[in-house]
Amino acid sequence: MAIHEPGRRLMHFVPLKFVQKRVAGGGGRSVSASINLTSMIDFLFMVVVFLLMTFSASGEIPLDKNVKLPKAENTVDMVDAPMIAVNGSQILVDGTPAGSTRAIEEAGRLQRIDELFNLLKSKRELWKATQGGTGKSFPGVCILQVDQMVAALVVKSVFQTAAFAGYPNVSFMVGQLPKNEHP
Amino acid sequence: MGGVSVESGGKGGRRSVDSEINMIPMIDLMVCCISFLLITAVWSHMSRMNADAQVPGPPNPEKELNPQPPDKMLHVEMRQDDKFTLIWKQGPTVVNSIDVPKHGVDVIEGSTTTTRYPDLATKINEEWKANGSHRDASDKKMDQAVLHTDNKTLFKEIVSVIDAIYTPKRDFGGASAQRPAFNVTFSVN
Repeated sequence: MAIHEPGRRLMHFVPLKFVQKRVAGGGGRSVSASINLTSMIDFLFMVVVFLLMTFSASGEIPLDKNVKLPKAENTVDMVDAPMIAVNGSQILVDGTPAGSTRAIEEAGRLQRIDELFNLLKSKRELWKATQGGTGKSFPGVCILQVDQMVAALVVKSVFQTAAFAGYPNVSFMVGQLPKNEHP
Repeated sequence: MGGVSVESGGKGGRRSVDSEINMIPMIDLMVCCISFLLITAVWSHMSRMNADAQVPGPPNPEKELNPQPPDKMLHVEMRQDDKFTLIWKQGPTVVNSIDVPKHGVDVIEGSTTTTRYPDLATKINEEWKANGSHRDASDKKMDQAVLHTDNKTLFKEIVSVIDAIYTPKRDFGGASAQRPAFNVTFSVN
């Protein structure tokens, strides 16, 4: 048997050029590799769909950092209206101080809060000056952000003051509990 | 590079029908979309509960001159520790009165515990179906509920009871979803 030069022997008998070229093993492994992006695109699609479903065009509602809101199930959507925050120590109208919670608790009786009344009244007059000529009637809506540990006396005083200042439609801002089906 | 390969049996000598779609612009667009949506995302969803202060207003000229009998109002008494009392009143006349035991069910969500009153909610729903004055979709008026609470009750307790009062819902016409049948106001005493 003849002596041959050492080297690759497998499949050399196949008389096809592309097979011999493949089995010769002359070149190295290709440095160009492609990554399969299908799974990444699927994931990105899922993220986009989830974020679009949870997207809210109305934006975030400013919440007083000292107020911890209670939660409720039977609620309606938020509206754009003056925001009255009531925490354990003070009352704020759109961030402006408008009275003290402790003073009402110490008085121990239902009362009209003068600072709150004046602020709300000026807001009402401002609305009438800016939008009164458009024919729209004043909506009289305000939203109360009340801390869950505030006493009913304070809530009722703020509620009554808002009504006297021309805001009889008072809404309470709450967190949303998941809805249950009732019989 | 990412691409979509379209397999076909191309014959020698002809231009290959294998084509790759360039996915990079699409991926760039999706990443921009995700960045925008993440930055503008609102994670805390807030809602509101309507209430209405009964303030006497100027006389309405369009109102009928013939006096109408007053609507029935549901008074919810929550001053007792062990029970709620539901009282239907027509003007000063008491039409009906029911006691509902105070069975609170705690719902824990994260770090907050919310007390709910399912028995009260069920009873108010039944009462509204039996005695509610405004139940037709064409009727835009709401039934009125008056909440009687003492001055020391915590606001979270009040919200739990208002939540139970808002359990009965009805159509108000139009395309809007069902809304609570009652409107709540506070009693001053």
